[in-house]
Amino acid sequence: MKLDLVIAGVGGQGNILASQTLAKCAMDDGYNVVNTETKGAAQRGGSVLSHLRVGSQEIYSPLVPKGQADVLLGFEPLEAMRYMSLLSKQGKYIINTAPVPTILAKLKVDQYPSQDEMVTAIRHQGVEGYFIDATQAARELGDVLLTNVVMLGAFTAINDLLKPEMVLNKLLSQIKEKYHAADVKAFNTGREIISSVL
Amino acid sequence: MEKQFMLGNEAIARGAFEAGVKVVAGYPGTPATEIVDHCAAYPGVYAEWSTNEKHAFEVAGGASLTNQRSLAVMKHNGTNAAADFLMHINFTGVKAGMVLISADDPGGLSSQCEEDTRVLIHNYAHVPVFDPANIQEAYEMTKAAFELSEQTEVLFALRPVMRINHAGGMITYGDKTSVERKAEFIPDRSRFVMSAVVEKEYGGELRPKMRHRWLNNKQNELKAIMETSPFNWAEEGEGEVGFIACGIGYAFLKEAEQIYGKKLPVLKISTLPLPEQKVLQFVKQYKRIVVLEEIEPVVERLIKQLCFENKIMLDVLGREGYLPAEGELSANLVLTAVESAVAGQAFPNAVPGNYIPARTRTQCSGCSHRGLLAALQAVIRKNGGIVTGDIGCHDAGTFEPMKLQATIYCMGSSIPMAYGIKAAGFDKPAYALIGDSTFFHNGLTGLASAIANGANITVIVAYNSTTAMTGFQPHPGTGRSLTIEHGNPIDPGVVAEAMGAKVYRCNPYQVEETAKVLAEAAEQEGVKVVIAEALCYLKFGREGRVSYISRDVSINTEVCNGCSLCVRTFGCPSMTISEGKAVIDKSSCNGCGVCIWVCKRGAIQ
Repeated sequence: MKLDLVIAGVGGQGNILASQTLAKCAMDDGYNVVNTETKGAAQRGGSVLSHLRVGSQEIYSPLVPKGQADVLLGFEPLEAMRYMSLLSKQGKYIINTAPVPTILAKLKVDQYPSQDEMVTAIRHQGVEGYFIDATQAARELGDVLLTNVVMLGAFTAINDLLKPEMVLNKLLSQIKEKYHAADVKAFNTGREIISSVL
Repeated sequence: MEKQFMLGNEAIARGAFEAGVKVVAGYPGTPATEIVDHCAAYPGVYAEWSTNEKHAFEVAGGASLTNQRSLAVMKHNGTNAAADFLMHINFTGVKAGMVLISADDPGGLSSQCEEDTRVLIHNYAHVPVFDPANIQEAYEMTKAAFELSEQTEVLFALRPVMRINHAGGMITYGDKTSVERKAEFIPDRSRFVMSAVVEKEYGGELRPKMRHRWLNNKQNELKAIMETSPFNWAEEGEGEVGFIACGIGYAFLKEAEQIYGKKLPVLKISTLPLPEQKVLQFVKQYKRIVVLEEIEPVVERLIKQLCFENKIMLDVLGREGYLPAEGELSANLVLTAVESAVAGQAFPNAVPGNYIPARTRTQCSGCSHRGLLAALQAVIRKNGGIVTGDIGCHDAGTFEPMKLQATIYCMGSSIPMAYGIKAAGFDKPAYALIGDSTFFHNGLTGLASAIANGANITVIVAYNSTTAMTGFQPHPGTGRSLTIEHGNPIDPGVVAEAMGAKVYRCNPYQVEETAKVLAEAAEQEGVKVVIAEALCYLKFGREGRVSYISRDVSINTEVCNGCSLCVRTFGCPSMTISEGKAVIDKSSCNGCGVCIWVCKRGAIQ
């Protein structure tokens, strides 16, 4: 049994909290867990990629090799596109379609691709997956900062290694109680978005 | 024995604690920083942030000579800065076990340069190095390094790479094994006084030569230790190509092996010096071997030398002429190496991928550096000056859109480079822009040199009261150490004044005033030091302490003509142009108001 997961996003999107939540659940289940993050000054707007490797066998590299990830969670579409090559042909992705423009795109040094271009480029790779507007869903629940929780909920709808209620409880155990109600809603919203298209 | 999830840096700190480390000193630098923080949390351990890596190394050296186990922690750039002490303590040897952690960053993911400090530590200083393949091994090696260092009286080094420091995993660990020892300094001048002294007992030889011989003679003892080291082993496998995998290279090879689907013959080597007999035994079985290591061909060249000395003919394929000579290894790269070497083919050339818009780092919304950078840019546009840069968050001023600093080299180089530019005859103002932590690290001596040599430059110290880039460590200008809040900051302006510089002060959030000061300072002769003082927004903003009066900044859309000058020259992440008008993202704007100055039409209010 193994799960190789990568979460691609932008600093401040709660990528690391999501990855740590899943890592802790997997450890509680008795799996071997190895993880790492590649982040270039994440707090200053850089891209953040979390690698999480779960298995019952020995795990050697903290990095998920190219073409080996079972799941790619894209908290931001450009970052998802950047790391699509990590995903296995049999893998699945869930990608939040809400863009976070790059500094260079704002300065017109680069052009941030249109949503269509990104969706086409990702679909072109012939891997199954889902595009969801997790940011909009979080906004409707009252706070865009819940985007990572929507994505985490969505993940539990496509994966059966970690039990959804366990993931939710582990998440809640790491955050202040006053945020619990909103997080439960966001988590369930994520699950429902995926269930409705399954 | 207990099992717990730890980060690599946490595991290294655990190993040091169990080995009974008493004194830990370092200077923050990715990816090694957290080792010192974790050590500080253990009872009975003295841990500090020194002003620079050389001093950290010297603090640890003093402790070892006083019979207490010690640890010096740094990233590769820091090891460069500490090389002078390395090239002495290697010759003197140590008293209590002493370990140097020199963390490398293959690929330069978080560094100014890519380098392999094994070259400096082993090839140059002849100090033994452990190169961990995973974090469990990093923990075990740290512990073993203390024991072996004490046993051999030689400094030991651990060279983890970023993928070890920043990886997390399950660690099986134990209890503190070392006994308390007495802090005593027994002078031994023939060892601890490195000087060109005539050694009577050695037939009148000079001490430097005698200590050099001591170090050379130690190598055989070290080689024998590595021969039976638990960190080196051979694995049987199929095929006619043997693989020698070093440190993290072993992790990538085992990963690649699983994808490749066949068990490969492997010799795992994680020590320098090499276990020569093990290597000879392994290579004799093959006509071709592949060496996987980060980053330079260190083990590869030693193996070639060993084969030459033993008259063994075979192909040794590695970083020198086969694999890419630069950049990080990966499981995929190693898989390609396995397939190519087995097929007897050249390693394929890399095919450049399509460019995906990069996400560069910049100053945060609300950062005090942005006001300083904007003011300086406006000033040099008028006076034609040049800005030498230094290490720190402000270095993002070199990127789009500011493109301000003309140079970035190493810690503290901005000041001497600026007056070197003047010495060469540059007839416009030269500015050196340096952060406060860097100023204390290696800027002070450069400033003294500038003053003593009658230079004509303007040094700007961005005094934000923290080492922001690496995660807000204290420095001498902050009034706190790693463990205590002592409330006695060393003010860089007071120091500069005492040294004889003409000192100016400004608050970089007040852009107009800052620009005036920067222009005026450059018009004066001599060494001028501008202290641009404002708290780091990212650190102190959380505590409700900022150096500006927060305001609600908005765009007057009737005045804004969409010229986009604010976005193109200023680059605040909270500003964009949408439908022909500037827009401020209220959710990320921190109300510093610096941008108000940028719009000459007065559209930002």
